[in-house]
Amino acid sequence: MSELQERGIEIQIRDLGVTFQDNAGHDVQALTGVNFDIYKGEFISLLGPSGCGKTTLLRTIADLQEPTEGTVRISGMTPKEIRLQQKFGFVFQQPVLFDWRTVKKNVELPLEIMYQSKEDRSKRADEMLEMVGLKNFSDHFPRQLSGGMQQRVNIARAFGIRPEILLMDEPFSALDEFTKEKLHEDLLRIWRQTNKTIVFVTHNIQEAVFLSDRICVLSPHPGRLSAIVDVDLPRPRTLEMKESPRFTELVYEVRGKFEGGSV
Amino acid sequence: MKKIHKIFDHKWASTLLWIVLIIVAWEIAATVVAANNRSPENILPHLYQILAAVFSTSKVSQGMTAVMVVLTSAKATILRALAGFLLGITAGFFLALVMKLSGLLEKMLFPYLMLIQLIPVLGLAPIILAITGDINSSRVIIAAVLSFYPVATNTLAGFKSVDQDKYDLMYTYAAKQRTIYTKVLIPSAIPYFFTGTKIGAPMAITASILVDTLQGDGGLGCILSQSLRHAMSIYVFWLIVFFSAFVGILSTYLMTWIEALISPEKRGIRKARREYKKSAVSQKVSVCPQISIRRRKAE
Ligand SMILES: Nc1ncnc2c1ncn2[C@@H]1O[C@H](COP(=O)(O)OP(=O)(O)O)[C@@H](O)[C@H]1O
Ligand SMILES: [Mg+2]
Repeated sequence: MSELQERGIEIQIRDLGVTFQDNAGHDVQALTGVNFDIYKGEFISLLGPSGCGKTTLLRTIADLQEPTEGTVRISGMTPKEIRLQQKFGFVFQQPVLFDWRTVKKNVELPLEIMYQSKEDRSKRADEMLEMVGLKNFSDHFPRQLSGGMQQRVNIARAFGIRPEILLMDEPFSALDEFTKEKLHEDLLRIWRQTNKTIVFVTHNIQEAVFLSDRICVLSPHPGRLSAIVDVDLPRPRTLEMKESPRFTELVYEVRGKFEGGSV
Repeated sequence: MKKIHKIFDHKWASTLLWIVLIIVAWEIAATVVAANNRSPENILPHLYQILAAVFSTSKVSQGMTAVMVVLTSAKATILRALAGFLLGITAGFFLALVMKLSGLLEKMLFPYLMLIQLIPVLGLAPIILAITGDINSSRVIIAAVLSFYPVATNTLAGFKSVDQDKYDLMYTYAAKQRTIYTKVLIPSAIPYFFTGTKIGAPMAITASILVDTLQGDGGLGCILSQSLRHAMSIYVFWLIVFFSAFVGILSTYLMTWIEALISPEKRGIRKARREYKKSAVSQKVSVCPQISIRRRKAE
């Protein structure tokens, strides 16, 4: 933990509140009074049942959503400034691939937007596809790939731009268990190589414990932060750790925060 | 039952069935007409009579056979249809783009676009002729007006089919408005644009033929009305009916073909097939590659 703190704070969230209007014109408090810091290079999860404001929190960090109250500061700047510097990588729940582009061209898209030269783009896309194990599929089209492979392309694309902060919204929740475990290992490997900050949204306790340094437990109605749990499993994480007593304890501890917080 | 379903999985099987059904129905009707009328060829001749007219060497007009007459006048009509069609789809595409760029313009224009579609061609033609004062440009304009509408509405639907996730993704990259159009919106609208052209192409041809009938200076419609007034063999009329149906269908297929030619996905798949075939030949394997495209499940 102290090791994390030594690296310094990257994202500061203060008294954050987001209120939506529903169709009847009533206010819906998606988030209220959220306060916490995210450290540089940390893998942090936002965990909670559906509707507790996880997506809203992630979108607010990415400047896809304006806060109604409070502030988000990233290295002292506003989310908008960071977004305009193209430092975010956002992985949506759906892969959001472009059907008319090959896998490789999909990975190259943000690099095109950033005016990188053709050779640089091509080289970087090859590297990324190699990293996610899709080297042999670069000329395929998204519809020729399975859901898991599409999500790999999505991840390759997100890491391709060398983002300072990677925001992932339930990227694996639509995948089967086997694919999910494989992608967990891949994601941790890539994260270790790149050392970026990852904010990972999930509603799956095991997934959060396996991947994260810390877990922010959110509760609904209104969405708020109810606890932060440190995950002290050693790194690199291996699948065998899921069988360890410490893993089970942590899952149990996190589950306790839920029942305490929301019922 | 299952077997029948399987047979009709092949497109050609159902096409063949339809052709056979139409021939049978036509011949039954022609037999009935022949039994009850003195000049049945004016109402419904037998198909073999029409076929005979195709190969007939008798001259129907100015030393030309029926087929020659049709093909000569077809050239003028099809060229006008083509000019109008190209004009119409270009205008349709850009209007859709402008409506997408300006929501206000869409609100003001879109409901009235349909009105264009509601005015009958034959009503529209004299008005446009009065405005332009030139029959040839009126023909082109009317073909343009008719192909314009399906292209404009379909392309606009294409722009609107882009879901929020894609906009959000581009937003996180801080992409410029122009980039969003060139890299996301326009490529997404291309298949919709082609749907529009597939509807518009035969309409441009029909319009062109219809407008020909207004004034007699060449063109299929002009010959068609002469034939109907018995200034020329009635079989010229029947030849034109079949010829224009054929050209109409062909024009739609042409659009499908052009779409496949430029679609990066189909190009990629063709390339993969070719390469597979090459490697299969070198390995003396004769299995056909199964490169399948999974369609996204309709939600
Ligand atoms: N754009 C929006 N308009 C209105 N209400 C919204 C909007 N986005 C989210 N909400 C509401 O805010 C709450 C939190 O939503 P969300 O952040 O998507 O939760 P989660 O991602 O944890 O499932 C929900 O009650 C949802 O209905
Ligand atoms: Mg969500």
